[in-house]
Amino acid sequence: MKVYRLRIAVQAISFIILIYGGLFYIDMGNRMPTFSCAYVDDRGGGCFLIGFQHMLSRPFGEFLGDAGIRLLKAMGIFALWSIVLNKAWCGWICPFGFLQDMLSKIRSFFDVDLSRFGWITRTRYKSVKYIFLVLLILIPLGIANSFFGLEKIPRDWSVPFCQICPARVILPVFNGDFSQIHIDFSSNTTMVLTTIVMVLVALFFTTAFVKRRFFCSYCPMLALLSLFDKIGLLSLKKNGQRCTRCGNCSRACPMEIREIEEEKVLTNLVTQDCTLCLRCVEVCPEDKALETRFCGIPIFTASQQGFLKRQGLDEESHTNKNGA
Amino acid sequence: MDKQEKRKRLAKKIQLNLAMTVGEIFDPIDEDTTRPKKMAYFDRIFKTFTQGGEGAVNRKKTQKLIGTYCLFVPEEIIYAAGGQPVRLCAGAYESVEVGEEFLPDSACPMVKSEVGFTTLPVLSFYQQCDLVAIPASCDWKAKMAEIIHDYVPVVMLDMPKVKEGEASRAFWLSEVKRFTKEVEKVTGMRVTRSRLRGAIQMIQKAQVQFRRFHEIRKAEPPVIHGRDALEVLNAYFYDHVESWTAAMATLNDELEERVNNRESVAKPMATRLLITGSPMVFPNWKIPTVIEELGGVMVADEFCTSNRYLHDKVAVDEGLLSDMLHAIADRYLLPSCCPIFSTTIDRRDRLLQLIKDYRAEGVIYHILKGCHPYDVETRIIEKLLQDNGVPMLKIETDYSPQDVEQLRTRIEAFMETLKGQRHKEKS
Repeated sequence: MKVYRLRIAVQAISFIILIYGGLFYIDMGNRMPTFSCAYVDDRGGGCFLIGFQHMLSRPFGEFLGDAGIRLLKAMGIFALWSIVLNKAWCGWICPFGFLQDMLSKIRSFFDVDLSRFGWITRTRYKSVKYIFLVLLILIPLGIANSFFGLEKIPRDWSVPFCQICPARVILPVFNGDFSQIHIDFSSNTTMVLTTIVMVLVALFFTTAFVKRRFFCSYCPMLALLSLFDKIGLLSLKKNGQRCTRCGNCSRACPMEIREIEEEKVLTNLVTQDCTLCLRCVEVCPEDKALETRFCGIPIFTASQQGFLKRQGLDEESHTNKNGA
Repeated sequence: MDKQEKRKRLAKKIQLNLAMTVGEIFDPIDEDTTRPKKMAYFDRIFKTFTQGGEGAVNRKKTQKLIGTYCLFVPEEIIYAAGGQPVRLCAGAYESVEVGEEFLPDSACPMVKSEVGFTTLPVLSFYQQCDLVAIPASCDWKAKMAEIIHDYVPVVMLDMPKVKEGEASRAFWLSEVKRFTKEVEKVTGMRVTRSRLRGAIQMIQKAQVQFRRFHEIRKAEPPVIHGRDALEVLNAYFYDHVESWTAAMATLNDELEERVNNRESVAKPMATRLLITGSPMVFPNWKIPTVIEELGGVMVADEFCTSNRYLHDKVAVDEGLLSDMLHAIADRYLLPSCCPIFSTTIDRRDRLLQLIKDYRAEGVIYHILKGCHPYDVETRIIEKLLQDNGVPMLKIETDYSPQDVEQLRTRIEAFMETLKGQRHKEKS
C-alpha cells in the first residue's frame, strides 16, 4: 500500500474515532496531544490543551499540593503519548490537520496553484506558535494569581486559547453541533475573543485552501510536541552522504521545511515544524537517504523502486531479478 | 562564390576525416567478440556520423527538432510540447579547427567543435534544429549564442551560480517557464498538464533502465566496459527516449545474463578506475580506449554526459502544471554537480559514494584544455581524495589524437602504482 493512501486512511479513521468515538463508548482520556476538541460532544478523546489551561489557573500555593500532582500526572500522560508517536500526532492523527489536507486535495482538484511562504517569512513565522504557547500558560496563571501586584485577569479569559481556537468552532459542526458559531456579547472580553475566533475560522478556510497546513505553522500543540523531537520513539533519519540535494523533499513538504534538503551532517531530521507526514521519504529517489524508524527499527525507507511505484510507474517487469 | 566553394570543400574534407575517425574507433570494436551483442543498436547511431549524421536523430518528419547543450535544458518540456530534443555537445577533433575561426585559442575544444559543426554543414542535425537552447553555464556557453545565432535560431537560458539561494531558484524557475513558452512557439503545441505528466513518466521510465544499468555495472567481475557505458548514454543525446529505453531494456537483460554466467569483459583482478572531470563525447574516447587496451576497466564515471545525465528524478507531488514545472526546474538545477556552481559539496559526496559503490581503486581527473570550471575544482577534489586515501591522476588534454601515446605511458604508470598498492595492502 502506498504511504500517502495509508496516511489518508489512518487520518480518516482517527477522525471518526476522535469525533464520533463517544458513540461507541471509546474514551482515550483527556490528555491527547492532538486537536480532538473537548467541545465535540461525542468525542473519543480530549485535547490536552483545555485541561492544561484549566489546571494552570490556580493560585501558586496550590501547585505544591494536590493540584500540582494532578498537573504533573496530566503532563506525564501527555509526554508518554508524545514520546511514543512523536509528531505523527500531527501528520497522521490530528482531525484538524486532516481537514486541512482535505482542503488541499480540493484545491488541487480544481487546479488552483498552491502558494508558499518566502524563506524569510517562513523563518519568522516559526515563533508565532511560541507566542500562543506562552500566552496560554501565562493568562490562566494570571487569572488565579496577581503578577507583580497587578490586578488579576478577569475570569472571562479562562481557557484563552480555546476561546480563539478555530477547531472549537469547526470540529463540533461534524457532530451536528452548530452552537459554537456565534459571537458572545455577554462581556467585552468574550465579544472580542469570539469575534477573533470567527475571523480565524474564515481565515482557516481561505488559507488552508491556498496553502498546505497553514494553521499548523502557528499551532501551539506543535510547539509543545516539539519538546520531544529528539527522544520520540518514532524518528526520521537522514543519511547526508546519499543525499543529492535534489530538493524533492522540501518542495513536497507541506510545512515547507528546508532543513530536510539542506542538512548534510545532522541525522535526526524531526525539526521544529515537522509533522512526520513522511511525504519527504515518499518523494526521495535515493536509496536509504531518508528513513523512518520506530524504536530504532527501520519501518519506511526511501528507495528508487518505491519512488517510481509511488510516481505511478508499475515496474514489476523491470525490477532487477538478479539483485546484481 | 569562391568562398562558398571553399567552405563546401572544407566540409567535405572534415566529413571524410570524421568518417575515418569513426571507422578507426569501430573497426576494432566490431571485431571484439566479448562485447554485449545488444550494443549494435547504439553503434548504429554513431556509425551514421560517417554519412553526415543522417538518421542519427530518431524523429518523425513533422516533429520539430530542439537542440540542447549541457544537462540543464529540461527535455520533459520539449517532449511535452511535441518536439524532439537532441543534445549537441560535441567531441570531434575534426571540427575544432572550424570553431577556432570564431573563438580564442584558450576556448575549450568542446565549444570549438560545437561551433564548428553548427557553422559548417558536416552533421546534418546541427543545421536542422528549429531552436537551439543554450544554458549560460560556463563562460564559453554564455557567449556561444551570439556566435552561432546567424546559423540557427537560439534561445539562451540564464543560469544562477549559487543554487542554494531562494532568489536563484525562483529565477531559474522563471527561466524554465520562459523556455516553455519559447518551445511552445516553435512547435505550435501547448504544454498541458497531461502531456507534461506523460513526458515526465517517459523519462522516468528511461531512468529506470539507466539506474538498472548502473546497478549492473557494480557487478564483479565487470560485464561491460566503461567506454560502452559512455556510448549508451551518448546515444541518448540523439535517440528518442522511448526507443532508447526499449534498447536499454534488452541490453540490460543481456548484461544480467552475463552477470549470472560471470562473463567478464576484463581479466580477473583488472585495475578498477573511476573517471571524472570534463565530459567525454563521441568520438573523443581516447582515454577509455587506452585504459581498456592496458587491461584496466573504467568501472564508473562522473560525467554530465553519462552517469549524471539521467540520475536525478523529477518528483511529481500534486500533479498540477505549476507544480510539475517547479519540480522540473528543481531537478535540473539543485542536484547538479556541474563545477559552474559555487559549492562542490554535492560533487564531493557523489564522488565518494561512487568510489565506494563501484570499488574504484583510483581516479582519473580529466580536464579539457580551456575547461576552467573543472580545472578550478581540481585542487579541492585532489585534497578530498587524498584525505580518503584514493590515488588520483590528473590528465589535461584536448581532442587531438597526438598525445595518445604519452597518455598511455602515464596511465600505465598510474595503473602500476595502483597494482603495487594492492599488493602492499594484501601483504
